Amino acid sequence: MLGRAIRSLVPRAYALFLILLICWLTWLSVRYLATSLFSPSVVPAQIAELPTRLDSDFLQTDRTAWQALDATEHPRTPLAHYHRLDSWIHPDSYNGCTQSGCHGPMPHTRRKETRAFLNMHATSMHCGVCHMKSDETSLLLGWYDLDHGEARDPPALLQLYGYLTSEDNAKKFAAPGKVVQETIVKLLRRAAKEADDLPALEKLADHFTRVRPTSESFQKLIESARTSLPRHFRGEYGAKLAITNPDTGEPILGHPGTKGAVREFLDRADSIEGEARTALLDKVHPRRRDQAIQCTSCHHSQQGQIDFAGAGYPPARVDALVNPVVAQMIEHIDKGKSFQMPEFIAPDSPARSTHEP
Amino acid sequence: MCKVRIHVTHRLLFAILACAAIAAPVLADDPDNCLLCHQFRGLGRHDTEVDRVHLYFVDPDYGHHRKGPHARLACTDCHEHSEVSVIPHQPVTPVDCARQCHLSDPTGLERQFSHDNVQGMLELGVHTTETLSKLQFAEGPLLREGQSICLYCHDEPLFRDPSRAIPQFRELSDRVFDRCDVCHTEKVSADIEYYVRHIASRFQPARSPLELAQVCSVCHSDPQILQDYELKESVASFVRSFHGKAALLGDETTADCLSCHVKSGENAHLMLGSLDPLSSVHETNVADSCIKCHPGAGEKIAEAAVHLDLPTAHGTLEFTIALLFIVITVLTFGPSALLVVLDLLQVVVGREHAGDEWTRKLAHEVIKHPQGRRRLIRFTIKQRIEHWLLSIMFMTLVVTGFPMKFADHAWAAAIIRVFGGLQIARHVHHWAGIALIVGFTVHLIDVFISLRRRAREVESVSKGKSLVKAWVSLPMWISPTDVRKTFQLLAYYLFLRKDRPSFGRFSPTEKFEYLGVFWGTVLLGVTGALLWGEEISSRFLSGRAFNIATIAHTYEAFLAVIHVGILHIYNVILAPKVFPLSTATLNGHTPIDKLAEEHGELVEQTAQELGISSERNES
Repeated sequence: MLGRAIRSLVPRAYALFLILLICWLTWLSVRYLATSLFSPSVVPAQIAELPTRLDSDFLQTDRTAWQALDATEHPRTPLAHYHRLDSWIHPDSYNGCTQSGCHGPMPHTRRKETRAFLNMHATSMHCGVCHMKSDETSLLLGWYDLDHGEARDPPALLQLYGYLTSEDNAKKFAAPGKVVQETIVKLLRRAAKEADDLPALEKLADHFTRVRPTSESFQKLIESARTSLPRHFRGEYGAKLAITNPDTGEPILGHPGTKGAVREFLDRADSIEGEARTALLDKVHPRRRDQAIQCTSCHHSQQGQIDFAGAGYPPARVDALVNPVVAQMIEHIDKGKSFQMPEFIAPDSPARSTHEP
Repeated sequence: MCKVRIHVTHRLLFAILACAAIAAPVLADDPDNCLLCHQFRGLGRHDTEVDRVHLYFVDPDYGHHRKGPHARLACTDCHEHSEVSVIPHQPVTPVDCARQCHLSDPTGLERQFSHDNVQGMLELGVHTTETLSKLQFAEGPLLREGQSICLYCHDEPLFRDPSRAIPQFRELSDRVFDRCDVCHTEKVSADIEYYVRHIASRFQPARSPLELAQVCSVCHSDPQILQDYELKESVASFVRSFHGKAALLGDETTADCLSCHVKSGENAHLMLGSLDPLSSVHETNVADSCIKCHPGAGEKIAEAAVHLDLPTAHGTLEFTIALLFIVITVLTFGPSALLVVLDLLQVVVGREHAGDEWTRKLAHEVIKHPQGRRRLIRFTIKQRIEHWLLSIMFMTLVVTGFPMKFADHAWAAAIIRVFGGLQIARHVHHWAGIALIVGFTVHLIDVFISLRRRAREVESVSKGKSLVKAWVSLPMWISPTDVRKTFQLLAYYLFLRKDRPSFGRFSPTEKFEYLGVFWGTVLLGVTGALLWGEEISSRFLSGRAFNIATIAHTYEAFLAVIHVGILHIYNVILAPKVFPLSTATLNGHTPIDKLAEEHGELVEQTAQELGISSERNES
């Protein structure tokens, strides 16, 4: 009985499906014909979908949101911006502070002297690194992935630089084999991908694949990579640093348990003032530091608050990051003093490119 | 020819290298060390009052890898040194693109350079500085106060990959630079690469046709600008043309905006209005502009509309023909689709025709007969081969042609990439078209031979009008009986009639599809040949013939695709009685269910010829 019912039902359902399919395809066809003749022509996305303005919406978009950027070899930048923007600013979909609706991706606006510089840090570090309380004297930091917001390994570029500059690997590089070559290429490709398919790293990876590991050229390439990789330490890692929960190791990407307070603040932001406002803001920011971490607290050779090595930075990179020269310069600016570009950061100076957000 | 080209390429490249080899060492990448901070893409701020983001990022790779002609400029060559050497920076004056800068030429001599001359060219054309300064955009100004109007069209210039224009360049340049590295330091080879890339990038236009359309579109598709300057929308109409579609599909050889709107040999900044007698698009010069790229074409080619926009072309012949094709599509596809849907509806409601079971039994009886199975074959081997060749050609034409029709869809570009580019896809399309026409011609010859044989047979038994009688006796001829039976079928589907009509070897649907192939192949073949041989056909036909041929070709192809893709596929693959595939075009045997449902007359006729009783009461 049931079998017969099913046998009878299947062809009917199939026929019904076909009717719907044919009707839908017919509708699409007729609609196309009608629009081709009666609807005003529109400029296709490959041409029109270019960012023409640099506004807050722009900061929230992924590069893939603009179809025209992928359609051509060298798509143009937003009109008011001259310099190329091939390196897009990754929107951080997991930063509770910027996703709450309270803060923008470039939140520092107050002090003209430092706002751009602090925003530079915001694009490669979570707000919490400087602004959230931590029980530890030395901040416990980890990387979180911008694609899924979860904890991840240090960026491939840092791993590669560590691999190439570690003294432990000196023997390997004296007589490199296939394994060394594959490790370098794999990390380079990953690093390129994490940096928006950075062509320079892709090209370097291609070079490494083409040269025999035992050849002199391979040694030259390794030397070249040691020199050129620091140029790419620009925070374009597809990941950000954040303080982590010491128990779980998970990144802390927002003030916990504050959804209700945030909603209340957003609803009442314009109407409350004074102490009530302060009290509500305290509820929104239970982990907020009274005073944000200062530059020299981290970029300092002694007792810095960030354990860069623990966060995956190779020793050579750590040395550069804790060089206090640049931090002192920022402190100088912070005190409201301007100065001319000093000699110590001339292009060939060792201090060049020593600072990283 | 190819060898000669490679040879020339080598010579050219080595000439460039020789020139570059004597260059002084390059200037420091960044003498003021601005990149210390500006290399970070997050360096910027958001001005919340006017909702404007200021990004101060400068890609260090631009200089490190000599990515563009400005790669060897210091920041202070463009920005005021006094403003940016102070930290924090002073309010920065917008860059004046016409200012003097200092360049070192390949001999190491420093010389003054300025883009000031460009301004002079602009003043002679339609894009004067006054015009550009007064542009009002629909959504407010796109540039900040005081910014250079050059930014409307230009951003940081990049060298194009020379290997696009000269495929040998990629391999050649790597090899050359590897050799340089043997003796020279990295900086010298980078310098050489800069000169090589700078000059080699001139082997092709600075921008691809699509990039150029992106640039022009900023103003030329802005509704406010179109209104203020009484301009016609020109970008959307361009991408509806062959040139525009080719641009969308990544073709580098197609005409772009500058190909037509800038006179040959003139600078792109000297763009004249169409009313200027010196303009390349002035009515007296359009033909020359076309012939520049279509050297063998007649002057009539200029009458073809590059910016034909059908929705705004009311009252023109082109619009009328497009409308006519839409009507034809609706009137032919619509009833066929209705019959298919009604047929399926019978299955949904569980309606079965009483006669089917009897015909099915009769068909089984016929098949049992030694000659029965062969007699029920509906398609001969030759017809089956013709059908499959037609199918292959049809699919090839669709796969290579439809990306052109729907060039703005992502899948179109993906398909073209599979073929290795538009040029190859077009070649495949053209040769598939030729193969189809050849096959069609062979079929026509076959039909005429058959017609003649039938005419002789008719003549032997009766006198007069033998050719006409033979013609109407052709198996695919749609007779008044077929029309009548089609209406009977419709009435049956609509429950207005109890008995479903029965058909012979070919049903009216099949005859109708055959007629469609006949009409479609002729139309597509003729219009396709006209468009393919535009240089020859333009000597005899008005350019408007290309507009009409394009419309006819594209709309007819669409009709064919929806008819085959929806209805024919249903009839031979998806219909419950034949699913998953009708074997009629494989081995000639139609599935019994389908035979019983649609070709009852054939079964009955065959039974009679074989002496099998087909009386209903007996079976």
